[in-house]
Amino acid sequence: MIITALIIAISVITLFAVLGLVLVYMERKVAAFMQIRLGPMRVGPWGIAQTLADTVKLISKEDIIPNGADKFLFNLAPLMVTVIATLALAPLPFSDKWIIWDSNVGVFYVAAISSLTVISILTGGWASNNKYSLIGAMRSGAQIVSYELSVGLSLVAMVLLSGSLSFSDIVMTQQDAWWIFKGHLPAWIAFMVFIIASTAELNRNPFDLPEAESELTAGFHTEYSGMKFALFMLSEYINMFIVSAVAATLFLGGWMPLHFGQDNFFNHIMDYIPPLVWFAGKVFFIIFLIMWFRWTFPRLRIDQLLTLEWKYLLPISLINVLAAAWITVTGWHF
Amino acid sequence: MKAILFYIFSVLILACGIFTVTSRKIYRAAIFLLLTVVSVAALYFLMEYTFLGVVQLVIYAGGIVVLILFAVLLTHDSGSLLPPLGVKRTVATFALTGTGLTVFLYTILGRKVEPGSGEFNEPSVKMIGGQLLDLYNFGFVLPFEAISILLLAAMVGCIVLAMKFSKTMN
Amino acid sequence: MLVLLRYEFILVALIVIFLLAWLIPGKSEDRSLSLFWINVLLFINFLFGFIPVEEGVLFNNMFYTNEAIGVQKMLLNFGALIISLQAYDWLKSNRNAFEFYLLLISTLLGMFFMISARNLLMLYVGLEMATLPLAALAAFETDSKRSAESGIKLILNSVLSSAIFLFGLALLYGETGSLHFSDMAGKLTGNPDGYRDTTLSLLLVFTGFGFKISIVPFHLWTADVYEGAPVSITSYLSVISKSSVVFVFISFLYIALKNMAPLWIPFLMVTSVLTMTLGNIFALRQQNMKRFLAFSSIAQAGYILIGILGASALGMSSVIFFVLIYIFSNLGAFGVVSVISAQTGKENLDDYKGMYHTNPMLSLLLLLSMFSLAGVPPTAGFFGKLFMLMAAAGKGYYILILIAALNMIISLYYYLRIIKSMFMDKSESPIAYFRSSIYSRIALVICFAGIILTGFFSGIFDYFYSISFGI
Repeated sequence: MIITALIIAISVITLFAVLGLVLVYMERKVAAFMQIRLGPMRVGPWGIAQTLADTVKLISKEDIIPNGADKFLFNLAPLMVTVIATLALAPLPFSDKWIIWDSNVGVFYVAAISSLTVISILTGGWASNNKYSLIGAMRSGAQIVSYELSVGLSLVAMVLLSGSLSFSDIVMTQQDAWWIFKGHLPAWIAFMVFIIASTAELNRNPFDLPEAESELTAGFHTEYSGMKFALFMLSEYINMFIVSAVAATLFLGGWMPLHFGQDNFFNHIMDYIPPLVWFAGKVFFIIFLIMWFRWTFPRLRIDQLLTLEWKYLLPISLINVLAAAWITVTGWHF
Repeated sequence: MKAILFYIFSVLILACGIFTVTSRKIYRAAIFLLLTVVSVAALYFLMEYTFLGVVQLVIYAGGIVVLILFAVLLTHDSGSLLPPLGVKRTVATFALTGTGLTVFLYTILGRKVEPGSGEFNEPSVKMIGGQLLDLYNFGFVLPFEAISILLLAAMVGCIVLAMKFSKTMN
Repeated sequence: MLVLLRYEFILVALIVIFLLAWLIPGKSEDRSLSLFWINVLLFINFLFGFIPVEEGVLFNNMFYTNEAIGVQKMLLNFGALIISLQAYDWLKSNRNAFEFYLLLISTLLGMFFMISARNLLMLYVGLEMATLPLAALAAFETDSKRSAESGIKLILNSVLSSAIFLFGLALLYGETGSLHFSDMAGKLTGNPDGYRDTTLSLLLVFTGFGFKISIVPFHLWTADVYEGAPVSITSYLSVISKSSVVFVFISFLYIALKNMAPLWIPFLMVTSVLTMTLGNIFALRQQNMKRFLAFSSIAQAGYILIGILGASALGMSSVIFFVLIYIFSNLGAFGVVSVISAQTGKENLDDYKGMYHTNPMLSLLLLLSMFSLAGVPPTAGFFGKLFMLMAAAGKGYYILILIAALNMIISLYYYLRIIKSMFMDKSESPIAYFRSSIYSRIALVICFAGIILTGFFSGIFDYFYSISFGI
């Protein structure tokens, strides 16, 4: 039991490191692609080692704790945000065999854990003893608490359709087709709402008010430097990965290859591609979508942000839940 | 292994609980409260009652503690230390908690507790949901609906108290 | 189901109506019209109570109803109607009238569920529903700091008491293994060996009830909350809210704990003596009318506990009867305070000096209410107290009755003090003559008639007696 735990711990840490390296690099390259430029090209071929160099720089930086900060909470916040990101990773199925904890309440669990992220952001902002940090933290709190509702409701719609809270069961229900194909309108609406709302929960553009550079320097992590700052950045990317993985699992079949119907030739061809590749492909597709948003939309104002959630997304997702329930009861999905 | 984890979490619950009430910084107290409720959730997970554990996380950690933190952030002067307890209050607190502890220990130690027999089988979420909305077989639909009205009333109450009318409107 | 849940369904329908009333265009211009219709709706709601109630159980004992419960609900409906009439003057100038009624009706619904509960879960849900919206109502005057203070005090106290109450219920559930009153009664057999286990849980549960009824060791929140809240809410808290918890306390004691009587009788005795005495002593020196009525209502709760101690059909019917009279007399008193407060903003005893010369009718009504609260013979209050003491005498609690009688004499002093200042004292600037709105006058006339007539119709008490039960 202890050995299993150790193996899991080591692989999760490795995953964190790899994801951090890959996603930061990807972000830069996608940004460059969108803006018709090359991006990092100097360190290694096509700048592959750029993130490594950045990491070395971050590690060697001085760790500053501002005067008047609450030291205990200031140090706790980046730790907490990483721990929470790790916890949310547990019930996600990476392939048909790779799953850390096959929980029967997986979807609910991820929703619960991701609602804790806001605490670490609030703590970091408050402990910094800096007005920009505090404003950033407050904005972030208001934003996350609001958009959590839509995320939760779109999850509920998918849970209704698939009839289970367990990720592996949900993947198995998509053997004949992914939910995005067979779930009709509710699934599409839920997918869109989920992507929009979880982008907001991640505090990413166009919802990056908590760290709006032009107004708040860097929001809740203004005062952080060195490795603690790196932890915040890292967990932001991990969270992005988790959100994309959840979306991929619920809507795009997770590790399930592209199937249509039962046991036909097309399905067998698709089965030759290993599940892990399917999973990674879908996740990175959605990550790409989220990065795409960043370079396409301008930042919202705080009132627009709250209007979007409370006046549009929330009513839409409430009605959507009803529609999903109706479809489930009548059995209209395939 | 389970026993070790159980004791670790129990110690965490107790320690963080004590820190919650003794901390003189209100924000820290809230964070210790968070650690307490998360440890309680961990105990539920340890007992393999995952649904209850997740409910604990959603309601207490994700809901109530966040609410408290917001309230702290909105409060003026939340960064300063709370005034220290005087001798009188300390004595009174100890007397009260001591009495409470004695009474509870007296009651609890007097009970014969027998270890439960058989395995605990977690009810499936479907069963819980069905039971909540069941009309006949010992279902909980009446309290469920009653609570929905309570929440409606609470929401309306909050809005009424928070709503501001501009002077020109009246 | 529709028939048994009739009272609750009507209230839910009212809640929905008040919620949707926002959508009616142009409602802010003629608020008096909408208030008229609201009162008509409440009146219809009250009238529905006259349709006889059948005995029945729903949802596996979570909901129980019979004639006595129907009568209790009707009394609460009636009280809410009178308070609504009295609140007219105040609500006319308040923008949030619909929300006021929505919250009020929600608390009433909670009380109904609570009274009908034969199950700890519904009892708790109902209790929460009956108190949480009240905190919003107590803080309803958003311009006033005292109102906000009253709201926050109410919610903190009710949360604390709910926590204690819930802990007690949890322990009780652990001991009996059931949430149903009837099953609990089977397990709590009154075996002295089990006392050690049950004493703690019952103590906690009683503490929870005590907070809500505001009996003496748990009464400290009452005066501040009553003083700061709007007058209508104060009267609602002191009459409706309190009576509903008394009703449910009775059924909890008489059904779930019927075998544990040796344990709860001493508790109730001590608290009733404390409640009467301390309530009276504090009421002696109050200058603010709302505070004064708050403490007098604490003292009245002490008398109610004596009625409960009767533990017989006579005890229960005497409590219901007392509540009916209490609605008339206390709402009469609060009604007068309410119209004066709405017209002049004056709430102090000194302001009432010489009021007889300017407002004779109001003074007369206040006089009657005070006599009724004090239990002076021709008024109904006398009979209410008489029956409760008779119930206690039936069990042989003569010392308790003696203490109660002494307390009534003390209370006579401070009730008379108000009458003296109205009728005999001279004042430079007495409250000027005014006519209150037709609604409050209707409410006051109803109270007036109730105080005089209820005592003489023995049929009412006989009817209550026929539907009551004891241990």
